[in-house]
Amino acid sequence: MEKKEQKRHQHKHSGPKAQKKNRKKEQGTEQGQDERKRNPRAFSVQSAVRMARTFHRAQDIKTKKHHIPLVDRTPLEPPPVVVVVMGPPKVGKSTLIRCLIKNYTRQKLSDICGPVTIVSGKKRRLTLIECNNDINSMIDLAKVADLVLMLIDASFGFEMETFEFLNICQVHGFPRVMGVLTHLDTFKNNKTLSKTKKRLKHRFWTEVYQGAKLFYLSGMVYGEYQTQEVKNLGRFISVMKFRPLVWRTSHPYVVADRMEDLTDPETIRLDPKCDRTVSLYGYLRGTFLKNKCQVHIPGVGDFSVADVSFLPDPCPLPEVIKKRALNVKERLLYAPLAGVGGLVYDKDAVYIDMPSGHASQQQEEVRPTTELVQSLIGTQATLDAKMAASKVSLFTGTAALTPEENPMESREWDEKAQRERRRAVFADEDEEDDDEEEEESDEEEEEEEEEEEDEDEEGLITLKKEDEKAVETAAPPVKKQKIEEPMEMPAFADSDDELEKSEGEESEEEEEGDEENEEMEEGEPAKRSSGPDSGLCSEEDDEDEEEDSDMDEDADGIVKFKHPEEEKIDTEDAEMAYETTGTLSMIYPSDYIKYVFFLVCFFWDVFVEGALRWKEDLSKKASEAYLRHQLAAPNLRKLVYGTVAEEEEEDSNDEEELGGLFKVSRPERSKKVRADAMDCSRFHPDSSHDWDQEEVRSSIRDCFVTGKWEEDKDAATLLKEDDELYGDFEDLETGEVHKAKTGNKDKEEEEEAPQVKLDDDEVQKNKRLEKKRRLKERFDAQYDDGDATYFDDLKEEMQKQAELNRQEFEDVDDEVRVQYEGFRPGMYVRVEIPALPCEFVTNFDPHYPIVLGGLGPSEGNVGYLQMRLKKHRWHSRILKTRDPLILSLGWRRFQTMPLYYIEDHNGRHRLLKYTPEHMHCGATIWGPITPQGTGFLAVQTVGGFKANFRIAATGVVLDLDKSVTIVKKLKLIGYPYKIFKNTCFIQGMFNTVLEVAKFEGASVRTVSGIKGQIKKALRTPPGAFRATFEDRLLMSDIVFLRSWYPVSVPQLYNPVTSLLMPVGQKDTWAGMRTLGQLKHDLGIRNKPNQDSLYKPVVRQVRHFNTLHIPKELQKALPFKNKPKQMQAKGKTPRDLQRPAVIREPHEKKVAALLDALSSVYAYKNKKAKAEQHAKHKEFLKQKEKQDAERQKRLKEERKKTYRAMGQKEKKKLKSSLKGASKDN
Amino acid sequence: MEFEGCNCFRQRLVLSTLSGKRVKIRNIRSKDDNPGLRDFEASFIRLLDKVTNGTRIEINQTGTVLFYQPGLLYGGSVEHECNVQRSIGYYLEALLMLAPFMKTPLRAVLKGVTNDPTDPSVDLLKVTAIPLMKKFGIDGDGLEIKVLKRGMAPAGGGEVLFTCPVRRSMKPVHLTEPGKIKRIRGTAFSVRVSPQMANRIVDSARSILNKFIPDIYIYTDHMKGPCFDPTDSNLYFSSLFQGGCVDSTNQSLSLLYMTLGQQDVSKTLLGPLSPYTVEFLRHIRDFFQIMFKIEQQKPGEDEQKGGEKVLMTCVGAGYSNINKTIK
Repeated sequence: MEKKEQKRHQHKHSGPKAQKKNRKKEQGTEQGQDERKRNPRAFSVQSAVRMARTFHRAQDIKTKKHHIPLVDRTPLEPPPVVVVVMGPPKVGKSTLIRCLIKNYTRQKLSDICGPVTIVSGKKRRLTLIECNNDINSMIDLAKVADLVLMLIDASFGFEMETFEFLNICQVHGFPRVMGVLTHLDTFKNNKTLSKTKKRLKHRFWTEVYQGAKLFYLSGMVYGEYQTQEVKNLGRFISVMKFRPLVWRTSHPYVVADRMEDLTDPETIRLDPKCDRTVSLYGYLRGTFLKNKCQVHIPGVGDFSVADVSFLPDPCPLPEVIKKRALNVKERLLYAPLAGVGGLVYDKDAVYIDMPSGHASQQQEEVRPTTELVQSLIGTQATLDAKMAASKVSLFTGTAALTPEENPMESREWDEKAQRERRRAVFADEDEEDDDEEEEESDEEEEEEEEEEEDEDEEGLITLKKEDEKAVETAAPPVKKQKIEEPMEMPAFADSDDELEKSEGEESEEEEEGDEENEEMEEGEPAKRSSGPDSGLCSEEDDEDEEEDSDMDEDADGIVKFKHPEEEKIDTEDAEMAYETTGTLSMIYPSDYIKYVFFLVCFFWDVFVEGALRWKEDLSKKASEAYLRHQLAAPNLRKLVYGTVAEEEEEDSNDEEELGGLFKVSRPERSKKVRADAMDCSRFHPDSSHDWDQEEVRSSIRDCFVTGKWEEDKDAATLLKEDDELYGDFEDLETGEVHKAKTGNKDKEEEEEAPQVKLDDDEVQKNKRLEKKRRLKERFDAQYDDGDATYFDDLKEEMQKQAELNRQEFEDVDDEVRVQYEGFRPGMYVRVEIPALPCEFVTNFDPHYPIVLGGLGPSEGNVGYLQMRLKKHRWHSRILKTRDPLILSLGWRRFQTMPLYYIEDHNGRHRLLKYTPEHMHCGATIWGPITPQGTGFLAVQTVGGFKANFRIAATGVVLDLDKSVTIVKKLKLIGYPYKIFKNTCFIQGMFNTVLEVAKFEGASVRTVSGIKGQIKKALRTPPGAFRATFEDRLLMSDIVFLRSWYPVSVPQLYNPVTSLLMPVGQKDTWAGMRTLGQLKHDLGIRNKPNQDSLYKPVVRQVRHFNTLHIPKELQKALPFKNKPKQMQAKGKTPRDLQRPAVIREPHEKKVAALLDALSSVYAYKNKKAKAEQHAKHKEFLKQKEKQDAERQKRLKEERKKTYRAMGQKEKKKLKSSLKGASKDN
Repeated sequence: MEFEGCNCFRQRLVLSTLSGKRVKIRNIRSKDDNPGLRDFEASFIRLLDKVTNGTRIEINQTGTVLFYQPGLLYGGSVEHECNVQRSIGYYLEALLMLAPFMKTPLRAVLKGVTNDPTDPSVDLLKVTAIPLMKKFGIDGDGLEIKVLKRGMAPAGGGEVLFTCPVRRSMKPVHLTEPGKIKRIRGTAFSVRVSPQMANRIVDSARSILNKFIPDIYIYTDHMKGPCFDPTDSNLYFSSLFQGGCVDSTNQSLSLLYMTLGQQDVSKTLLGPLSPYTVEFLRHIRDFFQIMFKIEQQKPGEDEQKGGEKVLMTCVGAGYSNINKTIK
């Protein structure tokens, strides 16, 4: 039979049924959302305890998420993010950096050495640094890295360097770490690839944190990574957030990206090994850097900074943020050590690199048309390092005269303007044009934005702009490559003598003056002129003040006297300085001299012009200065600190001669008297106020609660305000409407005369705003009061502080601001360091990072550090006390000799000979004072790769001290020489009575465990003493005294000077060697203890004495037990010895026959016996058989009889039973 | 660092101890008839030696040159016999500056002259410095100054107990609102005279103060001693006239704490800077490279609050107590 398919169910899509269903569905979802409502029983409280627990747990988790709130101290314009690209050799670090640079800036960088700074986005810049395989570099870079790109060769797997670096990072505060897997194209099999990826990922996660980002670079295309992947990596880097690390937020540091030797070439010529003065450049990071502070350069040592100054940012962020993407011009690249900033460093020359490709095209467009400038550039390129250096000093000198010509100085002065253009331009007209052009370009870009953001178009537009510029100006602006040209100039400064330097100051002012003038001519609002604080800026200001206003300079005791004419003299002097430089340069090639004179002429013209203009505007400026002075009232500040210029003067020369004509006259303030004045903090106020007079008394009336209050504090006003706030309300019960009087009044007033108070509107508006703010505040206070926790309060407080920090010095000019708060992070600074060892310069290798780590107060001192230390579990050997170890602590790397100890229960620090295997122990070193809580790591050597895992130990600083508390156990041994009951005389422990006296009352012990006490010294023998014990001693006992002997820590602090090693050998620094190392190297073998040697065992034969029984006892013993007088037989005497028998031949024959017969007989006997034996055996067998049969038969018979007996018995029993029954 | 002369002797040594910079002071009273360090200065050095560990002090034969290499501040229990040439206030002022940065909480017993006209008296420091320190986050039970015995020059014999807890860092402060005076409390003491004298002093002081505020209470402290020193309420007024949130003797203390604070902005309103404070500011710049922003606040026209005030602003040095042990 065929089975018919059943009809399927048809869902209703319309009609009442469908509607009903729909309704139900909707309701169902609703209820699903609120299950508590639908099923309240499931959510009812089952157990109070359990509920409490869940609540507790929830709260715990919530609280765990909290961190201690910290004040947000990140600067508004943060320094570039330091991205360290790290990995073992040949893993693709340089390729990755090249790709990233290309990705961000569209430029190719051939050789990557030193940090490369690029603008990566609207708000972010990156400094890319490649970390080579030297552990010194790894340590230094881990301390400054914000982000680490950890390259891993996937085809090979993890290498030790990776783990070492991770451990270094862990110790010095963990920066962000991102793994990058390379060489993934070597996998042919897809499955192994994915497996490897997974394996590596999980290992990486255990090392960093679960879910750490691991990036895959799948393969190479034409020797570069795939564009899309690099782009993605770039995106990851761009959005990465960083958390503040303790050490870095409390210490300023600079990763130097440029280095200049400022030493006078003449001194170098005379003594090539003289100490060098070097200026290092870089972005300041971390926290505020104070001028003249101490810095540590890892790999070199501690130095005090001679001078810090900030320069305009060489790689600034785009100024306008509203654009969507950066245009090509804003994608800047700055890497002076790699030669991209314009300079390439060679051993004895500096080259200017004109990058090819995209950048060079632009270059051609902007190439200066003026012959002069071009010639300058041309000459520049051919100069060798020394000349370049000396040139600079010329510039600093000339800067005084021609501000536009000295980019160093001009940079220092203005920051607001477009620095890039400014710096390189030689004539001041260009500056203006540049500014204008900037504005123009901005406008253009806005338009551009409206249209579209096409790169080609942008490029076109920029070209167009530059064309315009070229038309407008005689000397067009210079590219950033040329910008570098002035940068290297400072090196020249030292070739000249002091004379020029002292004049530099004056010239600076003039320069400033010039600039100001120009600005005024331009008609710009003189906001820059108001910028520099009149209080400190320069002498010029003082001058103005003196001329126009009645400043109480007398208070300072320093009266400046200057005249415009004097200025002129100065300039002449400056010119002289030029000439001197000219003559100095005679030793250099002739084209150089030509160049110098060129410059002099050129600059001179400009200067003269500038000077005249400066005079024109004198009065205007003076009045401005006066106003400024009025506003800032700097005289108190001046009173306390003096002006900076004055200070410098005081430093340089006390008796300054001005132009050889005038002498500065300073009123002698009888310094000696002041110096020895009474040291008292009490301040006796002037007694001019007579407090008995009413008006005097009323002057402080308001200080009391009874006096008048301020507007915002007065009770009456506050009440009134309350009325205003809550004035209008309607009483709901009565329906009565209350209206505030003030409000009504206002309204009426407004109605009456709305147009009269036009400016009153402002006031009203402000008032309303104020009122609103107050209301909001009050609301906030009331609203948040309920659940505001301590944490929230703290957070709010921190936020307020952060805001205040930002605002306080916001509107102050940078020049002044750096004096108050120091150089703030994000600034590009130039740090001048004197007295650096010459090897730093001669062995300079840009591949090695130079870090300037600022030191806090008293961190430059040395002392004892107590630290908690643990041997790294991957390090194969335990560490020995007093073996030299290289520590990386704070900024420093140094070698020291730690003593390990462990803390006993009573707090005693007991010396350990070796570190424990798997436990923390204490360590004390002699080293630099570093704040407690700072982490450190230890390595045994920084040169070579002897160990499997180089990090020997890690730990943290616990305490700093100037003395050591470690002791080691010392047992003094003595022997009793006279024993009374419980008292003994003991000798051999001490040598003198005095020593004993020191230990009187000390407890002693014997080996057997009898305790005792030292009582008193004996007169003879010296050092012997009387002691009592708890039991009687034996003469054989040994008495010992357990004491603790303080150990001294060897004072070795040897900074690792790896940067001073010759190029190519920087990873071979070897400091003090361990004893074992020394012995190994010198081939010295330890002389072993003779007792420890193995020798053949020779045992003495044991000798037992005979048993001696007394005669009496012998007598009493029974005979059996009496010792037998058994003496050895001894030799039988001769007479008793029997002689040997010698037979006659006949006798011999007889004896032989007898022998034969007896043997025959014996044989016969033997045979008969055997026969007999066999027979007997047979018989026994037979018998046995018979016996067995018999037994069997007997058994049968017995069986039969027993059976019969049994049957009989049975019968009997039966019959008896029957019988009995019958009977019954 | 090198200095000349014995002026600001305490400041230099205290700042040197805090900053860890060694100091050499030359020409100490070299032109004087009695050259070299005085006894009270020597006593002060001894006190510093007691509260520190590892301090190296070298003084030349005549006492005109002093070399001071600071050690680490140790604290603990210290008893010191102060020289009677200066009062205990001289020593206590320095201890106040150092005390929060010790390794262990300080408990110092200072013996000597409690009150004399040159130095701020112990009572003054007790009522002004302690509340000021509390503002900087140094609070808790341990902080107190206690006058155990009173002593007058020339015999001395006074005894003051000063205890202070240790802190790892200072809080930034904003003391810009002086507030109003609600009540006045004071101490009048008399030593070895009729107890009536103290009461008379109280009466005279009250007569003046009552014109401003009625809530006045002045304690009398009578002790047997060799001297008598009346207090002057006019002095109080003039300090009021100068105004500010911190009185003139403690200006330097508050400025020091501000300097040693975290790297945040601190603000304090002071009265006119005393010469001592001005010197102190210069020394702070030398030792810590910290400059204060000094703004003068002119009193309003209708306000009657005394003379000009000075608003001091600075960013702290980010100093942390390197002596304190962590476990």
